[in-house]
Formats: sequence, structure tokens, C-alpha cells
Amino acid sequence: MPSETAKPLRVLIIDNDAARARQVEEGLANDAVVHSATQVHGLVLLDLIAEISPDVIIMDCQSPDRDTIESLRQVAQSNPKPIVMFVEEEGISGMQEAIEAGVSAYVIDGLTPKRVRPLIDTAIARFKLVDKMRVELRKTKDDLASRKAIERAKGLLMERQGMTENQAFSAMRDMSQQQGKPLKDVAESVITIFGIIGNTGGKDSQ
Amino acid sequence: MTRTFLKIGFAQLSDCAPLAIAKEHGLFDANGLDVELARFASWAAMRDALGAGIIDAAHMLSPIVVASAAGLGPFPGSFTTALTLNLNGNAITVSTELFHEMNEIAPETMTHCPLSASALKSVISLRASQGAAPLTFAHVYTHSMHAYELRYWLAAASIDPDKDVRLVVVPPSQMVSALAEGQIDGFCVGEPWNNAAISAGLGRTLITSGEIWSNGPEKVLATRHDWADRHPDWHRALVRSVLSACIWLDQPANRVAAARVISSPDYVGLPYEEIVGSLSGKGRQTAGRLHLDMPDFNVFHRYAANFPWRSHAKWILSQMIRWGEAPPELDSDAIARSAFQSEIYREVAASMGVPCPDRDEKLEGAHSHAWLLSTASAPIAFGPDRFLDGRMFDPADIGNYIAGFDIRHRGSRLGERDEAQVIRMSKAGR
Repeated sequence: MPSETAKPLRVLIIDNDAARARQVEEGLANDAVVHSATQVHGLVLLDLIAEISPDVIIMDCQSPDRDTIESLRQVAQSNPKPIVMFVEEEGISGMQEAIEAGVSAYVIDGLTPKRVRPLIDTAIARFKLVDKMRVELRKTKDDLASRKAIERAKGLLMERQGMTENQAFSAMRDMSQQQGKPLKDVAESVITIFGIIGNTGGKDSQ
Repeated sequence: MTRTFLKIGFAQLSDCAPLAIAKEHGLFDANGLDVELARFASWAAMRDALGAGIIDAAHMLSPIVVASAAGLGPFPGSFTTALTLNLNGNAITVSTELFHEMNEIAPETMTHCPLSASALKSVISLRASQGAAPLTFAHVYTHSMHAYELRYWLAAASIDPDKDVRLVVVPPSQMVSALAEGQIDGFCVGEPWNNAAISAGLGRTLITSGEIWSNGPEKVLATRHDWADRHPDWHRALVRSVLSACIWLDQPANRVAAARVISSPDYVGLPYEEIVGSLSGKGRQTAGRLHLDMPDFNVFHRYAANFPWRSHAKWILSQMIRWGEAPPELDSDAIARSAFQSEIYREVAASMGVPCPDRDEKLEGAHSHAWLLSTASAPIAFGPDRFLDGRMFDPADIGNYIAGFDIRHRGSRLGERDEAQVIRMSKAGR
């Protein structure tokens, strides 16, 4: 239908995670008219949908608000055209991919899948990207924390046991390998033990 | 012995207790199953996870299974059950303001128990004459007992739920805040959410689901047909584990212990005091101000509660047809058979020595008092099965039953896709 292809699709992103909503919005901005809603629930959400009348709704798979959206499946005065889950077009494999990425999408019934598919793919890619960035951020934070612990443990071994820096590091690395524990855990054990010895020493001198 | 790993979904509601107890008491392990329970915040999310094979079974709204068997929704023909988890357990609560309005306008009707919605009808008429916005009521899902109970109660007092009020879906955990913010004027929901509204001074419970239809089905243990067919032994082991938990939960003394278990953040995650009443049935509010002991507020096993009656499935279907959610010319026998697998329940019950009904259907609404079912492997005591308006449901004559309601939706509200699915399902003969 030429009239359908002429007008850009109107997309509503519903996600309580504002940062992720922004990512998806940026991803879709060239191809669609995008609105996003965060922390909007129940009737306010329904009113917003009536106002925007989106062709596509993209949302967090686990959002409790999905049950509210699902009620638009039926024809009613407020929604002259029902919405359906997009993945109903795609079968179980398409659904699994979307669910694993955490995306669910609803489209106006009758909209051709060919028009919507690229938007959904972008949304899935953006959800995955946000997920990946968060994993990396967590890893960076963990790495930083473990580097700090190792430095501190090394310092204690050098100061209290008279080891060189290399000796201290090798001792911890060997223990990590023998016990199959991460180096960070060994370092934390060292810090804990010196903490105990330190306290006992303190009591003795009283 | 290697155990079979299964993942089961549940919702943050008091009637997740059978699954929580089966897990915490090692009943899954005893039946060779290693079960991980996963909590879901939305019925749609749980339905999709079950449909897509991310979970193997679910604590599910019984009408979702019937809807799937009829061809409605994203997983036509996928879901089935062999075990009902509980009967009753829901209630209708309105805002304190609305309760006072009802009291003022028709005080003489407000002393009855069960409470009819006739005072509400008067409030609605008054508001309409003043040009005020219609009242808004929430339930939890289009295909839910909550929706059908709320609609039944309203329609019994000549309130058309599709014309005289606005019906919306709000997830259980958001009900109380929606009431507090004035988004909705009342709701039908499971526990502990009615209790939460009462405790916060925001609402009054007008009627419990057991007073609308005594001992009607609520949640079921849902699985997928393909999974159950492929793994008949796992499915039976699963039914056996959860049935054992339901039998344990049937003892009043165990309800308190169960409330402690489900109050943990892993399950419902609310203080024990706010949950215990929904399981013990003590001091339940109804008719807006009465506090009654309702030992059957939630029924987990007595009255053959776990038996998936096909007459229950057909009643649910009758309400879908009544409200225009399903076409009237469906093959109700085929749908009920696909949705509720009573044979499997019967087989498992027999292996455990649990008495079980011989027949798959019964007349619903025929008993206003306790009665004895003798057509069973051993006689079974039953509670009443009466409807609020005294109507009787004959599962062999759904058409006449629906025609007997003055208030019903004439015509279809089905979207094109669901309509096509329903037709495809009927042609395939399941």
C-alpha cells in the first residue's frame, strides 16, 4: 500500500530504564517518529497511547505494564484497531531471540511485517548493546577493585613479611593456582588475615 | 540418580504457595525433579516464556490455558494443564470514597452479605445524570477469573461492564498505587493486594470471589502440550510433587507455616502479617465492613480442588463467549479436553491413593451447601458450588446458559488475527 509506505511509522518506547530507552530512541530516530515513556503506568499509560496512537510499541519484556498493553488486543471504542505481539509473525524462534534480548513489541494488527522488522531488529540490537555495555562496566569496576586489593595485599606482605614486590606477587599467584581461587580472593584473604594479626598485636601491646 | 532439571514460573501472589512448598519441602526432589522457580511480574511475560520454551511449567491463570485451547492469543493450542492449584482466592475492593458513596445512596442494600452491586448501580446512574466520568475498575488480565468474576458481579446488578464502567488491566503489584492515585475506583485481584489496600486505609473489600462463585477454579499448573507429550514421566512427576504440596497446604495448621515461607523475598516478599490472613482465611473483610473467618478463602486440595473439571474450563469459555471474546460456535468439548487433561490427574491421583472424581464434568451451581460426590474412586466431600445469582451452568448447554443473561456482549470483539486463529484451530479439530 503506497499510503502506508509514505508515512514514517510512529513508535512508542515504554521502558522504565531511561538510559536504555534513550539508546533505542537514538537507534530508531532516522526511520520513525519516536516517543518514549518511562515510569508511566496504568491508565496514564493507556491515555498516552491513545494520544500518540503509535503503530509500534517497543517495551521491556519483563515490564508489569505489558498486561495493561495486552488488553488493547481486543477491539474496543478506545482502540478501533487491535494490537498484536509482533513476534506472532515470526514464530517461536523469533520470539526466543526477542525474549532473550528482553524486548517485546506490539504492532497495529494488519501492519506488514516487512515494514516493522527493521525497527524491531534495531531495538533488539540496542537492548543487547546496553546489556553488553553494562556487563563491560561491571567488569571494569571489578577489575579496578581487584587491582586495588592485590596492590594492598602486596604492600602488606612487603611491609610485614619483608618480601620483595615480586616475591609477594608470586606467593599470591601460586596460592591462587593451587586453590583454584581468583587472585582477587587470595589478596582479600591476605588483607583479612593481616587485619586479624594487626588487631591481636594491638591487644597484646595494651 | 540424575534428576531432571525444570524451570517453573510463578507470580507474586499468595497462591504461589503450592510451588513454594513443593520446592522448600523437597517434594520436587523426592520425585526426581530439580526445580528452579522464577518469578514474573507480568502474566504476558510468563505466558511468553512458557510458550517459547524458556520455562517448562507455570503458576498460570486458568483462563489463559482455556484461551490458548480456543485459539486466542499468541500461542494458539499450546497450553494445557492436569492440575488446578487452587479455588477462590480473589476479591473485589473499591476505594473508601466509593464505598461511602454507595452507603449514602442505598444504605438499605449495604447490609447484605454477599453484597450485591446494586448500590454501585445507583452511584453509576447518579454520576451519569450529572455528566461525571464513568467509574474505572481494574482486573489483572483480559482472560482471567478476576475479569470474569468482576463482570459477573457487576452484570448481576444490571451494570454493563462494557458500557456503564471503564474496565482496565493493571498488574496486581500496581493495584494499590493505582487506587491511591485515583486512577481507578476499584479492582478485582488476588491476595495479598486486597488486604494491602484495606491496611493502607485506601479501600474496602465488598465481596470475595468465593461469594460470587463458590469454589470456582483460580490458578492452574500449566505446561505446553508438546512438552507434556514428549515427557509424560516428567509431567506426572511434576503433577505428583505439586499435588503433594497442595495436600499438605490443605491442613489449616500448615497455612501459617506456609505464610512464613512465601513472605520471603524469593516469593511474595511482603511481611508475614500482611500475608497470613489470605492463607488462614482469618478475619477476611467482605461487604465493606464485616470481618469473617473464611477457611475456604483459598482452597488448595479439599473438595477435589486439584481435579481439572472440564465443566470449569467450559464455564470459563462460556464467559469468553458471553463477553464477545470468543465466537459462540466453538467446539467446547474439544477445547475443554485440550485445556484440562483430567485423565492425567486421575492417573497420578490413583497412584497416590488420592480419591478422584469418575466424571470430567458436573453441573455447576447446583449446590448451595456441602455435599458428597459418590461417583468417585472413594466418596469425596464437596463444598458449595453456587453462583451469586443462583444460576445453574449445564456444561452440555452453553448456548442456553449464555442466552439467559440479559447483559452480555452481542457481536464479536475479536481482532482479525485471533478470529483467523480460532477458525484454523476449529478446522484442525485439535
